[in-house]
Amino acid sequence: MTDNQQSTPNTSTVTTPAEREIHIERVFNAPRERLFAAFTDPELTSQWWGPRGTTTVVVEMDVRPGGIWRFVSKDSDGSEFGFRGVYREVAPPERLVQSFVFGGMPGYISLETAIFEDLGDGRTKITSDVIFYTNEERDGMLSAGMEKGMNESFERLDELLAT
Amino acid sequence: MVQCQRQLDQTLGALADPTRRQVLERLGRGSATVSEVAEPFEMSLTGMKKHIRVLEEAELVTTEKVGRARRCSLGPRQLEDVTEWIDAYRRTLEERFDRLGEFLENRKEIGDDR
Repeated sequence: MTDNQQSTPNTSTVTTPAEREIHIERVFNAPRERLFAAFTDPELTSQWWGPRGTTTVVVEMDVRPGGIWRFVSKDSDGSEFGFRGVYREVAPPERLVQSFVFGGMPGYISLETAIFEDLGDGRTKITSDVIFYTNEERDGMLSAGMEKGMNESFERLDELLAT
Repeated sequence: MVQCQRQLDQTLGALADPTRRQVLERLGRGSATVSEVAEPFEMSLTGMKKHIRVLEEAELVTTEKVGRARRCSLGPRQLEDVTEWIDAYRRTLEERFDRLGEFLENRKEIGDDR
């Protein structure tokens, strides 16, 4: 990895192309295989998943179509938050499709399709489309602070990938 | 409360049918006789009368006999109970997101830091 790549921090682009969707693009300074592993290896995932100051335990992570993932996270106060979902498509190192449910809102399911694109210079771009059942749920997720939480989480991932 | 619930059940039940919703839309443009209402649907007059009775019981439609025909128009109910229920449901949704927001913002940490 060159100094040039390290000097400009990567940032996420978040847009809302349709009323039930969120579109996210983010570049990481890591080869595609390594980045895909960070999303699918329980030991790596627990090191970056969640906003700054939170800790996450991967309870279950069965990365195959139909397999369940289940995380329990703690915030700075020690309050616990559960998250879970099901992997729909797993095509290393290109594509990962999974559902997402926050434990405090059972029944509110979103579906995320993440594409890992090799930029050819040792970097990888993730393009992620998240779809919700309703426009209200999409907006609720955005106003709950999804973008900020995700950015912090991705910065933690940057730090992990730099090691 | 029980009375309200029954009314809401009746309203939602009446709305839970595409033909009945189209009848409401049609009557929103002006009153019509049962046969006029039935005309665009491939349905017997008896079938349409049943639908109109359901709408009438939910007070979404009123009918009156005019000569030999029965004339239908929109009833007194304006779906207030339905919109109230939806508003309340949306509030619940926001409150649920507040809890997720606590995690995403990790408010304690940020408040101390910056």
